[in-house]
Amino acid sequence: MDVVTLASQLNAGTIIPEGIVTLTLLVVLVGDLIAGRKSASWLPYVAIVGLLGAIAALFVQWNGTSDTIAFLGAFNGDALSIVFRGIVVLSTIITVLVSISYVRQSGTSLSEFLSILLAATIGGMFLCGASELVTVFIALETLSIASYLMTGYTKGDVRSNEAALKYLLIGAASSAVFLYGASLLYGLAGGETQLDRIGIALSQIETPAIAPVVALVFVICGIAFKLSAAPFHQWTPDVYEGSPTPVVAFLSVGSKAAGFAFAVRMLVTAFGSLTEQWHFIFAALAVLSMILGNAVALAQTSMKRLLAYSSIAQAGFVLIGLIAGTESGYASVIFYLFAYLFMNLGGFACVILFSLRTGTDRISDYAGLYQKDPLLTLTLSICLLSLGGIPPFVGFFGKIYLFWAGWQAELYGLVLLGLITSVISIYYYIRVVKMMVVKEPHEMSETVKNYPEVSWNLPGMRPLQVGIVLALVATSLVGILANPPIDLAKASVQRSPILQASISPAKEVAVSRFAPVQSSEFRVQN
Amino acid sequence: MELQLQYFLLLAAFLFCIGIYGLITSRNAIRVLMSIELMLNAVNLNLMAFSNYLDPENIKGQVFTVFVITVAAAEAAVGLAIVLAIYRNRDTVDMEQFNLLKW
Amino acid sequence: MLTPLLVIPLIGAIAIVLYPDAKKSWVVATVFCLLSFGWSLYLLSQFDLSFGGLQFVEFHQWVEPLGLNYSFGVDGLSLPLLVLNSLLSAIAIHTNRKDLERSRFHDSLILLVNAGIAGALIAQNLLLFVIFYELELIPFYLMIAIWGGKNRGYASTKFLLYTAVSGLLVIAGFLGTTFLSGSPSFEIADLQVQNLDSVPKLLLLTALLLGFGIKTPLVPLHTWMPDTYVEASPATAILLGGILAKLGTYGLLRFGLQLFPDTWELIAPVLAVVGTVSVIYGAMNAIAQQDIKRMVAYSSIGHMGYILVAAAAGTELSVQGAIAQMLAHGMILALLFFLVGVVEKTTGTRDRSVLNGLMNPIRGLPLTSGLLILAGMASAGIPGLVGFTAEFVVFQGSFATFPIPTLICIISSGLTAVYFVILINRTCFGKLDNASAYYDRLEVNDRWPALVLTAIVLFLGIQPNWLLRWMEPTTTSLAIELHRPAIARVAAIDTIHQP
Repeated sequence: MDVVTLASQLNAGTIIPEGIVTLTLLVVLVGDLIAGRKSASWLPYVAIVGLLGAIAALFVQWNGTSDTIAFLGAFNGDALSIVFRGIVVLSTIITVLVSISYVRQSGTSLSEFLSILLAATIGGMFLCGASELVTVFIALETLSIASYLMTGYTKGDVRSNEAALKYLLIGAASSAVFLYGASLLYGLAGGETQLDRIGIALSQIETPAIAPVVALVFVICGIAFKLSAAPFHQWTPDVYEGSPTPVVAFLSVGSKAAGFAFAVRMLVTAFGSLTEQWHFIFAALAVLSMILGNAVALAQTSMKRLLAYSSIAQAGFVLIGLIAGTESGYASVIFYLFAYLFMNLGGFACVILFSLRTGTDRISDYAGLYQKDPLLTLTLSICLLSLGGIPPFVGFFGKIYLFWAGWQAELYGLVLLGLITSVISIYYYIRVVKMMVVKEPHEMSETVKNYPEVSWNLPGMRPLQVGIVLALVATSLVGILANPPIDLAKASVQRSPILQASISPAKEVAVSRFAPVQSSEFRVQN
Repeated sequence: MELQLQYFLLLAAFLFCIGIYGLITSRNAIRVLMSIELMLNAVNLNLMAFSNYLDPENIKGQVFTVFVITVAAAEAAVGLAIVLAIYRNRDTVDMEQFNLLKW
Repeated sequence: MLTPLLVIPLIGAIAIVLYPDAKKSWVVATVFCLLSFGWSLYLLSQFDLSFGGLQFVEFHQWVEPLGLNYSFGVDGLSLPLLVLNSLLSAIAIHTNRKDLERSRFHDSLILLVNAGIAGALIAQNLLLFVIFYELELIPFYLMIAIWGGKNRGYASTKFLLYTAVSGLLVIAGFLGTTFLSGSPSFEIADLQVQNLDSVPKLLLLTALLLGFGIKTPLVPLHTWMPDTYVEASPATAILLGGILAKLGTYGLLRFGLQLFPDTWELIAPVLAVVGTVSVIYGAMNAIAQQDIKRMVAYSSIGHMGYILVAAAAGTELSVQGAIAQMLAHGMILALLFFLVGVVEKTTGTRDRSVLNGLMNPIRGLPLTSGLLILAGMASAGIPGLVGFTAEFVVFQGSFATFPIPTLICIISSGLTAVYFVILINRTCFGKLDNASAYYDRLEVNDRWPALVLTAIVLFLGIQPNWLLRWMEPTTTSLAIELHRPAIARVAAIDTIHQP
C-alpha cells in the first residue's frame, strides 16, 4: 500500500491546515538552527505566512468536500471544527504580532517561543476536530504542555516560574481527572473510544445509571479547566498575572476557543443522552462564573488580574449559548468567540504595549494616559467597553446574540443574571477607562509622567502596532457589519451533522417561529 | 477464583483517591507531581482492565495506556524542568513558599 | 431622509478630533450642529401634518439573524424632540466655553450624544433603539467625570450605575416582549403584543416603566438625578435634563403606551399617583434647597411628574400636552441651567443665601438676572410663555380622567412659583455687596444662547400653535389605540341594546 492510497483511505486531506502549521513549526526550528540569532528578524513573518496559509487551507476546506471524517473516525473536519480552528489560528497570528517586541525585550529566544506557540496551536487545532478519546487526549495535552512551557517562558522571572508551576500542577491534575472520566467512558461504552459510538452506547443504558453521570462529571472537570469556568478557575488569575502577557493573550482566546470546540463536540456527541444533566452542570458553572468573575474583578488592582477575572466571567456568558443548545445558541457561541478574539486580544495588545513602555500593569499606573498615548488609550478603551457590552462595538452584538439565543431557549434566569452581571462588568471596565481618560494632568501617575516618547520604529513595534490597529478596527466595525460573521457561524452550525442531530425537534419548531423569512413576508404585506 | 473486573476498578479508584489526597496535602512540589502520576496510573489500570475484559480484540485501551504513559512522561519532564527553574531562583520547592501570586 | 440626522453629527465628531486647532473646535462643532438643526427644520417643513403614522420611513436589512434592522421613521412624537435635540446641542456647545479644557474631546462627545439621541428617537426597531439608548451612556459618563464639579467621581459613577440598570431593564423588557409574544423580529411594526396574556404584559410593562422611569426620573428612582445634575457642568446638565431625560418619557409613551395600551390603561391610576407624588416631592424639595442649581434640578423632577400624569391620562389632549411639556421643559430647563451656570461662573457660588442683588445694572448681571426671572416665570407656568401652554394642555387633557391628581398638580404648580420667587428674590434683588462684588462683564458667548432660548420660549408662548400642531395627528392615533378596548366595549353594549 503506497502513501497516496493510505492517505486517501485515512482522508488525510482534512488535516492539511494542521500540516501547514506543523511545517511552519519545522521551518521555524530549522531556520533558527541554520541562521542563528539573526533569524529573529524574519522568523515571525515566516510563522505568520504559515498561519495565513493554514487559514487559506481552512477556507478551501469550507468550500470543499463533504467527507469530513478522517483517520478512521479519529478526527472530524466538519464545518464546526473549521470555524473553531480558524479562530485558534487567528488568535495565534495576532499573538505572534504582539509578542515579537515583548519576547525581544525579555531577552529570550524568539524562535523557541514561536515554536512552542505553534505547537500549542497545532494542539488546539486538533482539539477542535478530535472525535476520539485518544486523539482528544493527545491534542489536549499538546495544547496544555505547550501552554505550561510558554507560561514559564521567562525563566529568570520568579513570578513566571510560579505561574507555570501552578498552571502545570492544576492542569495536570485536571487532565488526570478528565482521563479518569475518559477511562470510565471507555468501559461504559464496552470498549469504544470514538465519541459517536460512545454516545450510542450510553444512550442504550436503560435505567438511570449513576456511572455515566460520574464519567460526565469527571470529563466536565477537564473541560471546565480549559474554559476557566468557576469553580475551576483558580489558576486563571495567577497564571494571567505571572506569565508573559502575549502568552496570556493566547491562553485567553486560542486555548479557550479550542476548549469550547472540545466541549461542544464531547458533550453533544458522547453525552447526547445525558443532555439534561450536562445542561444542569453547565448552568451551575455559568452562574458561578458570571457572579464570581464579575464580582471579584471589581476589587482588582492589576490590569492582568482584572482581565483574568473578566475572562472567567466571559466564559460564563458564552456558556449560556452552549446551554441553549439551539442552532442560534451554538451560532452565538461561535460569533461571541470571534468577537472575543478581537476585543480581548486588542486589550492584551495594549497591556503589552503599556508594560513594554513602562514595565508595569497596575491599573492606577494608567492614570492620565490619554495625554501621552492617545492611540493606546483609544484602543484599550474601546476594547474594554466592547468587553463590557457597550454598543456599537462588537461585544454588544455578541452578547445580545447570546442572550437572545438564551432567551429563545427559555433560559430566562440565566439571561437575566447575564444582564445583571454585565452591568457590574461595565463598572470595572469603565474604571480603567476613567483612569486613563478622566484623570487631570496633575493627577497623572508617576509612570505616565515618565512615559517614553511614542515611537513605532523600534524593532518589533510595527507588528505590535499592526496588531493593535487590527483589533481596534475589528472591534469597532465587526459589530456594525455583523451579518457576515453571524451567517458564517450559523452556516457552520447548519453544516455540522453532529450539531444538527443534537438540536432536538421540539426546539426546532420553537426556533422556526422566529425565522426571519416570516419577517420579510410580514413587511411585504405592510 | 477468577478475578472480576470490579476489583481492578476498585483498586484504580482507590489509587486515584490516594493521588487526589496527595495532591491536596503535599507541600513539596515533587510530591505533588508524584501524586499526579499516581492518578494517571489509576487511569492506566482502569484502561487496561476495561481493555482486557470488554475489548480484547481491538485492545484500544492498551493503546490508550501507551499514550497516557508517554504523555505523563512528557508532563513530568516539563514539570521537573519548571521545578528546577524555581529551585534555582528561590532555593525551595515548598508549595507554601510560592505566594508571590496571591491565590 | 433621516440618516443625515445620524451621519452629520458623527462626521462632525470625527472631524473635530482631526481638526488641527483645538481652540477652534467649537467652530466645527457649531457648523455640524447647525447643519443637523437645519436638517431637522427641513424635515419639519416636509412633515405631513395630516398623517398620524410614521413618516420618512427608511428600512434596510441589517443583522438579519438577530431581527435587527436599520429601520427609521418619525411621527409627531419624535420629530419635535429631534429639533429640540439639535437645538440644545448647539446651545450646549456654547455654554461656559471660556477656559474649557480639552475642548475638542468635549465637543466631539456632545456631537456623539446628539447622534445617539437622534438615533434613539428615530429608531423603529427595539434593538436599534437599545443600541442608541445605551450609546449615550459612555459619553455622558465621561462628560460628567471630566468636566463635572467637585464630587464628579461620585456623581458620574452613580449616573453610570443607574443608567446601566435602566438599560438592562429595557433590554429585558424588549427581549421579553418580542419572544413571549412570538413576534418575528424586533421591528416595532412586526410586534404581536396582542398575543400576550395580561400577566406577562403587566410584568414587561413594569420592567419598561422602571427602566424608563430611572431615566426620566420618577420619584422613587430619582436619587441619581440631583447629584448628577448638580455636579455636571452646565453644558452637560443642559443635555442631561433638556434632552436625555426626555428619552425616558419618550420611551414611556412610545413603548409603554403605544405597545401595551390596555395594560397601560389598567395601571394608569398608579402612574398618575406616582406622577403626582413626583410633582409634590420635586416642588417641596426645590423649596428647601440652598443651592440654586440643585433647586433647578428638583424643579425638573416636578415637571417630569406632569408628563407622567398626562401620559397616564392618555386622552388625545393630555398626550399632546405631555409632548408639549417635554419640549417646553427641555427648553426652559436648558435656559435655567445656562443662566445658573453663568451666575456660578461669574460669582463663584450657587448658594442662594450668599448671592444677592444681581440685578444691579452696573456691577451685577442685569441681563442674566432678567432672563432668569423670565425663565422662572416660564417654568412656573405664567401665561404668555411656553410653560403655560404646555401645562395648560396637560391639565385640561388629564382633568377628565384623573380629576384629583390633576387638581393636586395644579396646586403644586403654584409651589413652583413659590420657589422661583424665592430664587429670584434672593439672587436677583436686594443689595449687592459693595466690598467684594465686582463681577466681570459677560462675554457675547454668555449671552446669545440664553437670548435665543428666551426668544423661542416667548415665541412659542405667544404662538402655541407652532408647538402643538406637529403632534396632533399622532396623539389622535395614540389615544384611539389606548381607548380601543373601551370603544369596543361601548360598541358591544350598543349592539346588545339593538335587538
